[in-house]
Amino acid sequence: MYYQLINFGDEEFYAYPNKSLYWKRLNTLIVSDLHIGKSISYAKNKQFLPPYDTKEILNELFVSLDEIKPSNLIIVGDLLHDIFSTLSLTDQDLKNISQYMENTDFIWIKGNHDKNIQIEGFKIFTNYEIDKFLFTHIPIETPLFQICGHYHPKVKIVHRGKTIFKTCFVHNEKIFILPSFGILTGGLDVHSKQISDVLNKNNLSIYPVGQDKVYKL
Amino acid sequence: MNINKSNPLLLHPLNKWMKKKKWSWFPHQIETFQHVRTGSDVVVFAPTGAGKTLTGFINPIDDLIKLKKFKGLHTLYISPLKSLANDIVRNLEKPIKELDLNISFQVRTGDTTPYKKQKQKQKPPNIIITTPESLALLNSYENAKEFFHNLKYIIIDEIHTFLDNKRADLLSLNIERLQTFSPKLQRIGLSATLKNKQDAKKWLCRKKPKIIYYENSVLPKIKILESKERIPWSGHMATYSINEIYKEIMKSKLTIIFVNTRAQAEYMFKNLWLINKKKLKIAVHHGSLEKNLRLKVENNLSKGLVDCVVATSSLELGLDYGDVEKIIQVGAPKGINRLLQRVGRSNHNLNIPSKAILVPTNRFEFIEAKAAIEEIKKNNLDQIDLKEGSFDVVAQHIFATACAGQFDINDLYKEIIKAYPYKKLKLNDFKQLINLIQDGGYVLKNYDQFKRIFQLRENKNIYKLVNRRETRKYRMNAGTIIENPMLKIKLGTKTLGNIEEVFIQNLSQGDSFIFAGQVLEFQSMKNNLVQVKRSKSLISKIPSYSGGRMPLSTNLANSVRALLAKSNMRDLYPDQITEWLKRQKNISKIPKKDEYLVEQFPRKKNFYTVIYTFAGWHANQTLGFLLLRGFKEFNYKPLGFVANDYAIVLWTLKEVKEIKKILNIGLLDKHLDNYLEETSIVKRLFRDNAIISCLIERRLPGMEKTGKQVLFSSDLIYTVLKKNEPDHILLKSSYEDAKKNMIDYDRLREILKKIDKKIILKKLTSISPLAVPIILEINRENLSKKETDEYILEDLENEILKEANVLSIN
Repeated sequence: MYYQLINFGDEEFYAYPNKSLYWKRLNTLIVSDLHIGKSISYAKNKQFLPPYDTKEILNELFVSLDEIKPSNLIIVGDLLHDIFSTLSLTDQDLKNISQYMENTDFIWIKGNHDKNIQIEGFKIFTNYEIDKFLFTHIPIETPLFQICGHYHPKVKIVHRGKTIFKTCFVHNEKIFILPSFGILTGGLDVHSKQISDVLNKNNLSIYPVGQDKVYKL
Repeated sequence: MNINKSNPLLLHPLNKWMKKKKWSWFPHQIETFQHVRTGSDVVVFAPTGAGKTLTGFINPIDDLIKLKKFKGLHTLYISPLKSLANDIVRNLEKPIKELDLNISFQVRTGDTTPYKKQKQKQKPPNIIITTPESLALLNSYENAKEFFHNLKYIIIDEIHTFLDNKRADLLSLNIERLQTFSPKLQRIGLSATLKNKQDAKKWLCRKKPKIIYYENSVLPKIKILESKERIPWSGHMATYSINEIYKEIMKSKLTIIFVNTRAQAEYMFKNLWLINKKKLKIAVHHGSLEKNLRLKVENNLSKGLVDCVVATSSLELGLDYGDVEKIIQVGAPKGINRLLQRVGRSNHNLNIPSKAILVPTNRFEFIEAKAAIEEIKKNNLDQIDLKEGSFDVVAQHIFATACAGQFDINDLYKEIIKAYPYKKLKLNDFKQLINLIQDGGYVLKNYDQFKRIFQLRENKNIYKLVNRRETRKYRMNAGTIIENPMLKIKLGTKTLGNIEEVFIQNLSQGDSFIFAGQVLEFQSMKNNLVQVKRSKSLISKIPSYSGGRMPLSTNLANSVRALLAKSNMRDLYPDQITEWLKRQKNISKIPKKDEYLVEQFPRKKNFYTVIYTFAGWHANQTLGFLLLRGFKEFNYKPLGFVANDYAIVLWTLKEVKEIKKILNIGLLDKHLDNYLEETSIVKRLFRDNAIISCLIERRLPGMEKTGKQVLFSSDLIYTVLKKNEPDHILLKSSYEDAKKNMIDYDRLREILKKIDKKIILKKLTSISPLAVPIILEINRENLSKKETDEYILEDLENEILKEANVLSIN
């Protein structure tokens, strides 16, 4: 898989076009905002999205795990969309997950969507510290470098009279925000107020995600 | 002589009023009265000014007077526009009030207050004047059956506007519903003159179908502006003739200038004001302007308070503006019917010919204008092709039906296939649409526990809404008109109108553009409001609204070909056009009526292939994309193409040697699917389908940007669905829509089927005169056609890299 090299907090990270981030030195794969079971959760309000999101998200994740074979998988929040979402995980899905857990530690940082849900085998944290890095769903006040999710960042690109929106990785000196690994999840402009409040507008490094490649702006 | 026998209308309650006005009955009114009285469903074709509205009401009023104090709803009048509905009420009011008839009538549209609507439901008037959307909503209420059970007539006004679109599908389904509620219902259609009258009859009539028509013997007087200026090769803004247009406005009391796009309207308006030395009162009118601004212009127009209004199709239908003396059509007419409709806006007196001047904006348009005039003389109208009903509309109708109460699916199916557009609807497709409403209709997995409608245990054919709350969701999505996301433009605190989100996204702070006749400067965008201020700048981007392109009708295209093939050019055209065509004849060829001229020539370092199809922009655009693929396959290294209504030009690195091997019907079969896949056409239409079928909720103003990142888009649904369930009924539906609307599939197929035997290939050493206009268009379009997201990203990255290299050298 092609990747884009990103330097953050004096460490090298690989950003993959499937929206995962790899920390090679510690053999750790990081994903965020999978929102598994979003379709089921919407269906209860009679919004019938295609019910294939869970299957697709897990497949994509398993492909990455097969290829990279990381020692750790860190999910920085919103693994599940809500309590109903567990309905969309089949026994087979859970069995597959536990098989991957034999070689990989699954670290589940809780997000705002999946606070009170448990799945067997996951190591659950509200945030998680490694060296000078803090893994958390929503950034907090800390001197550490933070790697987080929550915002589903997207970037607006205007070029030669055309405007496009692309999902992206984004960071400043201290905070790194991952894109959503989900497939029915929308996004928020990196220059929106919500993200600006966290990252402030200057010194942003933005990496739009293309079909088979992560670009650098 | 028994006069009453020859004209039964002399005993009609309205006869007294007619007499007082010194009006006499038209023959088609007598005929309508007699046929409807004896139980026929009818379609009446009559020109504007021939008492069309009254014609529809002749039988209802007669019945209502004879029935004496009839209680409840008797007649429903369907109008295509809200504004027109209000106008109908005013017209109906006059005779009923003056004769003091005991008949109640009210309007019901999206603008009617909830209080009035509620009262109407409790105590319905005899006549309701409404729109197809409001009718659909009425049918979704629990008491719909009771409300309509005594309905005697449904009158469809301007039925020609309802034949070839999704609104027509919706209306047809709801008419059948009314017929079920009230089997005695009779249908009366009113239409402008139409070529295929039989089709309109088939669409509407069931009982003893009858066509009634009245042709206007007075032909409109249409001429082309005799310009002393040079008519440009290409372009669409008619700047060359602005002074001459101004002179024409001065000559008439009241002029409407029709243009084809909103951008043209703004541009024309601005240019006229720049030369408005006489301080004429000139106004602008188009669909994006704020309603109040539009109403003001309409009011001034009907009171004769303006000298000229520049308008788009927004003024085509609607109120009668009796004082309009002259119509100026700027730009190609694009279709005979459209031109006639526009020309008919002047002089609503049957015995005086309408007057119109056509202003072509370029040379091909001159030929098109000339051809249109010829066809109007021959009364050769465009055909309006009936369309097959769309699936998404049925889905919405199923949901509406469920909102009105439990239903038997067999009964519903039988009712639906009575509607003409759905005659061929397969039971299997219908069942898939039931599933779509039930829980999204996914085959591989389903939402058993979360259904929207469910089967009764005791009778599996009967479906019922799970929860009354769902009716609200239906009502939010009801209707088939989906607008592009629009943003409100605010100047200070005043709202000027709406503009497409896409256009604003391309603006940066400080950029200027024209809107509502003013040059405005973009300041900021917040919560769907675009804040602007007046700009002093003269340089401006023009709003490029997406809804601007009108396709050239097949009928007119054929007559353009026929005209072009005529040899007596001097009699037909001014010198400059004649010279242009003569040179073409010498250097290359002028194609005969059924020939397809293909010219090939080298230019700069590339090779050019120009194909004159006269197939209209949509079909040509599609053909261009297909040929790109065909050329690639033959390794001609294509670089790009540009299409207009008349021709396509492709340019390649290598010479295209075997055009006949590529340009044939095989091209369509081989590459169409790939083409649809790669462009976003189907994806875009999927959004409309998902909304109309109520799969996703319509975004209403104010709900759009709630700042939540969890909003999903129809694009995401499309992508997931296509991957996992490519046979889903909504994908099928979107694909059909694409074929019908966006790519002009049928037209292209017809041309490609016969093209290989009729290609006239001309190898030239340089560009031909006929090719100049389209070659000029190349520069205006973007340089590359590879405008995918990936391309933009790559290009941007390369640019940045280049920049970085330069910096490092320094």
